[in-house]
Amino acid sequence: MIKIFVIDNGGQWTHREWRTLKYLDIETKIIPNTTPVKEILNEKVNGLVLSGGSPRIGLEGDLGNCAELLDKAKMPIIGICAGHQFIARHYGGKVEPSKIPEFGKVELIIIKNDMIFCDVPEKTIIWGSHNDEVTKIPNHFIHLAKSENCEFQIIKHNDKPLYGLQFHPEVEHTEYGIQFFKNFIKLCESN
Amino acid sequence: MFNSEQFIEETTKKLRQEIKGKTLIAFSGGVDSTVCASLVNKAIGNNLIAVNVDTGYMRKNEPASIKKLMEDMKLNYRFIDASDIFFKALKGVFDPEEKRKIIGEKFIRIFENVAKDEKIEYLVQGTIAPDWIESGDEFRDTIKSHHNVGGLPEDMTLKLIEPLRDLYKDEVRKLARTLNLIVSEKQPFPGPGLAIRILGEATKERTEIVREACNIVEKEIENAAKNNEMDLPWQYFAVLLPTKSVGVQGDKRAYGFVIAIRAVQSIDAMTCAFSKIPPEIIEKISNKITNNLGNKINRVVYDITNKPPGTVEWE
Repeated sequence: MIKIFVIDNGGQWTHREWRTLKYLDIETKIIPNTTPVKEILNEKVNGLVLSGGSPRIGLEGDLGNCAELLDKAKMPIIGICAGHQFIARHYGGKVEPSKIPEFGKVELIIIKNDMIFCDVPEKTIIWGSHNDEVTKIPNHFIHLAKSENCEFQIIKHNDKPLYGLQFHPEVEHTEYGIQFFKNFIKLCESN
Repeated sequence: MFNSEQFIEETTKKLRQEIKGKTLIAFSGGVDSTVCASLVNKAIGNNLIAVNVDTGYMRKNEPASIKKLMEDMKLNYRFIDASDIFFKALKGVFDPEEKRKIIGEKFIRIFENVAKDEKIEYLVQGTIAPDWIESGDEFRDTIKSHHNVGGLPEDMTLKLIEPLRDLYKDEVRKLARTLNLIVSEKQPFPGPGLAIRILGEATKERTEIVREACNIVEKEIENAAKNNEMDLPWQYFAVLLPTKSVGVQGDKRAYGFVIAIRAVQSIDAMTCAFSKIPPEIIEKISNKITNNLGNKINRVVYDITNKPPGTVEWE
């Protein structure tokens, strides 16, 4: 059985990420971001989700042990909202307050094809909820998708199994949310 | 997927081990607490005492129908009319968080009194995931203090048992269907009741207005859904706004309050889209509200906000 843990950064929808994984028959657990990295690595998980966060922590917070985790973990990781912003910051990108924040319904525009879009149509409805966003992606990252008011909706590391999503695939109203998770699970299985 | 039979079996087994002696349950007659009562009842039978509190902020005919439900379920129950206590406690209170906390505390004090009389140390609550998520903790921001989590007083002595903590409403409904409970499709109603559908001070007089408006919205929408004119929304109700606006009623200037109608579609309350109610239905509701409540209300608006950025209830 595939095992994917959700690192809790305090988002409103952390528990939804756990539920989505559970419904896809994944062995999963929510763990606080202050959990020692050694403990997480000992669990031999196949993948990790870095959840969204409490207000503004994507912009300037340290998200517990997430930095050490990104440095040491080899398994696939997907960062959502604040988790995505933290990944960008950690690798040398930039996060700033959004000029036009997105709350609720947004159309996703795919820029570059990737396995994360497997069985997702070219234009699809996603739901977001963020006051900050990535404004510059780090070196060695690829820009995969955007929306009208947010340039970096999905980014990916060039050679590590590492994704960042500004929107929330775990909520009911994101049309292909479950598909994004399925594609991430495929990545975890093949890794 | 969620397996109701398995959940029921595992949970009743766990409850049987966990509860020594008698326990109370905070029973509102909604889907969550009714499912909870049914599970605990399965586990420990008449050692469960269901307590229903009439806060005064209930919907039309609600106290009577809850009493009937408790009887039909053959629950060992206590019905407590505490409306005077709640109206008095909310006098002069305008802040939504303060309202929620006061109501949460009053509930617990009432439960503590019953517990003392019956020598009980446990309180079962139908808390589900959005309640504790939105109430906030050391990690999470407080969106609103749900009365059964963020509204609990710090010095409460009862030990909490919350068997549905990790579930969302759609899963609780599945349990309700498996358990054959008639409330399985009932729309959610917040614990603080109509008090948080009155923006500003929740006086007795203003409660009467919003109670009537909620009743009209519920009846019209349920009728329309029954006649296949629309899908039944996840939740649908009226909110009394503290703003006045100018109108004209029978060649006479009017200056009355505003009712907002809210209806949303969701499966788990964590994200919601406003319902696209057919204009003819909205018009019918609007006319009924201004006709029935003409001396108080002369304007009706429809809330077209999703969650996020809005929440379902206004407070």
